[in-house]
Amino acid sequence: MQLKNLLKVSCLAIFCFFAVPALAQNKVITGKVTDSHDGSPMPGVSIVAKGSTIGTNTGPDGSFKLSLPATNNTLVVSFIGYAKQEVDITGKTSINIALVGSATALSEVQIVSVGYGSQRRKDVTGAISSISAKDFNQGEATNPLTQLQGKVPGLVITNAGSDPTSTPTVRLRGQTSITGNQNPLVVLDGVLLDDPNQLRNIPPGDIASVDVLKDASAASIYGARGANGVLLVTTKKGREGGVSISYDGYTGIDKQSKYYDLLNRSEYLSAISALPNVTVSTYDKGGNTDWQKAVSRTAYTQSHAVAISGGANGFTYRGSVSYLNQQGVALNNDKNMLGLRFSAEQKALNNKLDINMGITYSRIKQNFNNVNYDWIFNTPPTYPVYNADGSYYSYSLEYNGHNPVQHAVKTLNNSYENLAILYASADYSIIPSLKIGVTGSTNPDHTQNNLFNPSFPTEGTVNNAKSSSYDANSYKGNIHINYDKTFGKHSVSATAVYEYNDYFTNNFTAYGENYLVPENQTDNLGGGNPQKSAITSNKTEYKLISFLARAQYNYDSRFYATASIRRDGSSKFGPNHEWGYFPAMDVAYRLKRDLVKNVEWIDDLKIRAGFGVTGNADAITPYSAIGLYGTGNTYYNPSDNSFPYKPSYQPSQNPNPDLKWERRQGTNVGINFSLFNNRLSGDVDFYNDKTKDLLYLYRVPTPPFLFNTILANVGSLSNKGVDIGLTGQPIIGKSFNWTVSGNITFVKTRITNLAGTYNGFNLAVDQIPLGNALGRGLSATPITYLKPGYAPFVFYLPHYTGVDANGQEQFDGQTVDKYPGGIPPSHYIDPSPKFNYGITNSFNYHNWSFNFFLRGVYGQKAFNNTFLQYETSTRLPSNNTTRAALTNGVKSAPTASDRWLEGASYLRMDNAALGYTFNKIKGINSLRVYVATNNLFVITKYRGLDPEISNAISYNPDPSNATPQNQSYIDNVPYPKTRSFVIGANFSLK
Amino acid sequence: MKKKINIKHIVALLSMCILTQACTKLDKNVYSNATYDNFPKTPAQVAAVVAGSYNAMTALGGPGNTFTMNETTTDEMIVPTRGNDWYDSGKWQSYWTHNIRPDDNTINGAWGDLSGGITKCNFVLNLLAGQSNIPPATIAEVKVLRAYYLLMFMDMFGNIPLVTDYNVDPSKVKQTPRADVYAFIESELTANVPLLSTNGQSTDATIYGHINQWGGYMVLAKLYLNAQVYTGTAQWTKAAAAADKVIQSGKYSLQPVMLDNFAVVNDASVENIFVVPFDNTYIHGMTIAWNTLNYNNKLTYNLLGNPNNGWCAPTAFYKSFTDQDARKKMWAIGQQYTSTGDPIPGVVLSPYVLQLSNPADSFKYAGARSIKYYPQTGSGADMSNDGVIFRLADAYLMKAEAEIRAGSPGDALTLVNAIRTRSGVPAWSASNLTLPNLLAERGREMAWEGWRRNDLIRFEVADGIKYYTGPRVPGKTQDASDNHTLILPIPSQQKISNPNLVQNPGYGQ
Repeated sequence: MQLKNLLKVSCLAIFCFFAVPALAQNKVITGKVTDSHDGSPMPGVSIVAKGSTIGTNTGPDGSFKLSLPATNNTLVVSFIGYAKQEVDITGKTSINIALVGSATALSEVQIVSVGYGSQRRKDVTGAISSISAKDFNQGEATNPLTQLQGKVPGLVITNAGSDPTSTPTVRLRGQTSITGNQNPLVVLDGVLLDDPNQLRNIPPGDIASVDVLKDASAASIYGARGANGVLLVTTKKGREGGVSISYDGYTGIDKQSKYYDLLNRSEYLSAISALPNVTVSTYDKGGNTDWQKAVSRTAYTQSHAVAISGGANGFTYRGSVSYLNQQGVALNNDKNMLGLRFSAEQKALNNKLDINMGITYSRIKQNFNNVNYDWIFNTPPTYPVYNADGSYYSYSLEYNGHNPVQHAVKTLNNSYENLAILYASADYSIIPSLKIGVTGSTNPDHTQNNLFNPSFPTEGTVNNAKSSSYDANSYKGNIHINYDKTFGKHSVSATAVYEYNDYFTNNFTAYGENYLVPENQTDNLGGGNPQKSAITSNKTEYKLISFLARAQYNYDSRFYATASIRRDGSSKFGPNHEWGYFPAMDVAYRLKRDLVKNVEWIDDLKIRAGFGVTGNADAITPYSAIGLYGTGNTYYNPSDNSFPYKPSYQPSQNPNPDLKWERRQGTNVGINFSLFNNRLSGDVDFYNDKTKDLLYLYRVPTPPFLFNTILANVGSLSNKGVDIGLTGQPIIGKSFNWTVSGNITFVKTRITNLAGTYNGFNLAVDQIPLGNALGRGLSATPITYLKPGYAPFVFYLPHYTGVDANGQEQFDGQTVDKYPGGIPPSHYIDPSPKFNYGITNSFNYHNWSFNFFLRGVYGQKAFNNTFLQYETSTRLPSNNTTRAALTNGVKSAPTASDRWLEGASYLRMDNAALGYTFNKIKGINSLRVYVATNNLFVITKYRGLDPEISNAISYNPDPSNATPQNQSYIDNVPYPKTRSFVIGANFSLK
Repeated sequence: MKKKINIKHIVALLSMCILTQACTKLDKNVYSNATYDNFPKTPAQVAAVVAGSYNAMTALGGPGNTFTMNETTTDEMIVPTRGNDWYDSGKWQSYWTHNIRPDDNTINGAWGDLSGGITKCNFVLNLLAGQSNIPPATIAEVKVLRAYYLLMFMDMFGNIPLVTDYNVDPSKVKQTPRADVYAFIESELTANVPLLSTNGQSTDATIYGHINQWGGYMVLAKLYLNAQVYTGTAQWTKAAAAADKVIQSGKYSLQPVMLDNFAVVNDASVENIFVVPFDNTYIHGMTIAWNTLNYNNKLTYNLLGNPNNGWCAPTAFYKSFTDQDARKKMWAIGQQYTSTGDPIPGVVLSPYVLQLSNPADSFKYAGARSIKYYPQTGSGADMSNDGVIFRLADAYLMKAEAEIRAGSPGDALTLVNAIRTRSGVPAWSASNLTLPNLLAERGREMAWEGWRRNDLIRFEVADGIKYYTGPRVPGKTQDASDNHTLILPIPSQQKISNPNLVQNPGYGQ
């Protein structure tokens, strides 16, 4: 009742406001304001007649009507976060205005999430970058992360290859751990996602903004999970005032952007006939196949999203349905996603009570890539794909070579994921300055993987099938109290939170083989050879309990100070270190309010400094710290005829009661500025972070230890760097606007120490081998290392100096056999990039918009393992090779050396889009159509398929095996990168 | 509606939580494992833990790291580089040429397998000490098994850390001189072997895969036979006596067809004394066929996948078998056939391995391949032949050798001729029974069973002939004159794990 009355009164007041001045006017102008980025209508935009106080705001559909003196011919149009425009209305009665988002960093009222709360941009004291939907990458945006790629200084997103089922890797301010996951924590509308990769389940179009907590002081509020930085993702919400329906869709095609230069049939035949003792006919199976093209295709992608939003009387909502179907260029490889989201907010009790809820459900079906890219090199081009009768031509080559088309098409390897993210919160203002609230969320995730390998003729294999189901869930809740009060020039706010998280996982797999009806694939797992059936299951749980408090003080929007502390306890940690403290402190000084108050060309200037402590406990599994028995090797007990093969029960690890989080502590100094009437703005941040207590499986002697490794907190590394982001608006005009923004990221990571103690016992390694050269006869060749004093993944390789008269490779001037033990000397080579950068240009001309985004990496090296294996004439005649192998004069078998460590700097035209906005179509609020392209070109000297190679594989320590498992900077027959072209449209209805 | 329930629920939960201890309780709930405080309780559970003392045997009974180091360093096995296959940083060549690097991963693996067996035995003994009603034979069995691991460990690495207590401070672990390790093993065996079961598997199935008294005497015989290598003092008489205990037990006899001891189903062998049970489904590790056969031999045995075409016999070793020798059937050589008897085109295995490395396609067919452990039709890499650690023929040959060396040949000729005539080669006269001939006979009988390095070094030390360190075709030159290669290097990984370890002489620091 009260609400209704309030509304009536408000309406009356607004009516009066418009009606009264109208008496004196003699000119009326109507119009509509849209966002130049996507043509969507913009409500709440201020329209003021220049030089007067006469003005109005646009309505929910972006339209306005203003009466003003006939002599006044200029409107001033402004909206927070957008460039202010002055519009000439001489002789016009209606006008359409497209506002251009300005990247003005210090925008007065822009709200920034800081974790467990938000601040106005101008008040932020930590190193926090924000990016909103208008700045997202365009084109085929199939994952929210690809929208951010290259946009945020300090945030390096790597998307190696174009497999739709892969997820990009994210590194914020360098490597932070040896063994643990390094993806930043993702917080979606205040809910901490259990797995950062779940962000891919959120339709990209639903995201309104992302705030990135970069420095240790900002991320410290997330304590033991904050060491990799934090992405705070805010989704779009409904607004009061009517109903808005929007559609956003595109369709695209992808083609492989580059192919290896392999021998074709005639080149191959002439090359092998030149070899001694080769019966050419043995290798000529009558085919003429380009195997790279045979396993590749033109891939189609379509994406559709419909959203409905609106609200009234304190209730707002937004719902969306989205569908994505993305094919990979590899045969039988695609991703299908159906997403449903709903969020609502109800304000009640005179706005004292604020209730929020949100539901996200998504179902992703993926067909994983089964193309074995080794086989395109191993199979001669003289082999056909099909027999004359249309059946597959099947073959087996030495160790590793079968028909890759047949395998890709016939193998079933898919997964179904059902993910729900549910949250609800209630906040109540006891007094205006004091709010108390609770939040609860749960995050059930079910994934089922199905794998069916049929038996292939000539390979002699039996078919086998495996299904695995993975269930993860969490129950999370918090109680939070916020206090916010201004006393004259002093403003104080404080937050206190108690948080409780309980995480579960459940795994179940079943395997069988030798099925009589292969068409059943994985749907009749019990139908095979019962002796070969295998079942596993596993369940884990861990708890994370936290207390945190933060206080912020600001004096006259001039001096700022923030202090926070978090206390995290986790059942994962060792009994001796269950709880830890993560403090942080920031200060900021806004010079514009003080020293440079009168400098006109400075619109705002702020300096900041902060210190904080964060943690990473990802490498610790729920039970790493304690001693456990688990099922061990099977043993034979002939005395039990019914059950002779029994599982033994064995301790599963060396317990470590001292196990704790990795501790990253960092200092950050930065400035934010906005100059020349907000035409140039930017952030510069310098940081110096140290990570201590690195978790690693250190080698220990057996006996007395039960296992030869122990997970322990030993070692440290440092990250030092500079993040710079700049935005300029060289041209702001009525009909033409040009905005350019760029960022550059410098980071230098060094392993500083790999030694320490466990329980009084010295643990040390002089270096840790991480990555191997791969290929036949190349195993046991670690080539990348962690070594104190060097960057992570430093290469240690012999130096190639050419070939001798016999075509034998020489290293430091000698062939391999001249060195004792056949081992030439090796040298350390740092592959890490000098810097990463991105540049966006946006142009608007009347209803046209054009933007393009260039992204690059400078100074990076990549080990071209593909060519190490395959660019050698010694592969003939059994296998194919590249054209270069015939002419490079090298006759010796492959040896890992710096010959294969190639410069992999690149500059990529990441995306470009041209759009046109129609805003005078009847019945449609706005309509924008666009064409876009991704990866139009890449400039690089790297000879592999693409210089952007995976650094994703996190070290997966296996206590029983010293084999290194992180292949960062090593490029081995990757999934190809594609070039895509997209045509899309979005429109909204009222 | 749902929303309100949710909130109420959570509010209630959280308020309760805040008010009680539960809000800070970080209990570890274990679902899929057993914890130290509640396990093991029942006798079956104890048995499942004790079984762990045998875990390391699956690495020793098949072609694991220890087997690799004891074979590829000798005259009966070579792993040449074929094209780039089996180059692997030159490690296989380095075994043949005895340029073994301390950072080699196989040698580190061998250390890990053996020391892992020892530490598991220590853990089990520590556990059994806290249990009641454990029969003394059970404890003795773990101790004898540990003595076997220690013997293999000391045989390879010389001065080893002798840790026999689970609760030792790791920073105090240092190497023990080889002779002291020898003395410890001797005392453990003499004290515990008599406690073990005297049953053989022909009358007691439960003993299969376990070490019994006769297996224990085989360990003791191996220890004494090499005493001169370990301590400088030979113990030929004791060696002969220990081997004789086994022979005289009456539990074993020579299997009429020698290769039947290594068949896919070899449980019924009357000759095998201590075996490691393998199964292509349940107990993996018997992969020797995969290491040696040519990829095309997949068609011969209908294998699930292509074997790796690596290990083979050096030419001279292959040629030491006469055509009438039934044991020569252990080699796959010449034209290879499919399972239906059709020749596989172009797949002709040659006995000649005259280079260590050759990129020619034809070199992929070089060298005789072993089918001593006969490949299991339709199997993948893991096969079901049980791995043979000790068998009676070894006891015969050890006793014969020890008697000859002790100067009282006794029944040596009878024992050796029993082995020769079984395989169809003519019996020797007394004049044939020379030590070099005996070494060659051991080679043919015990080929690829993991003892060759141990044998060659013993003969070299006792007779002063460079059987192990001498030059060999292809490409092996005489080892350094300091004879440091008679002991393998301490793996550099282990030196990092335990800085107290001192590298063996001749391998750098």
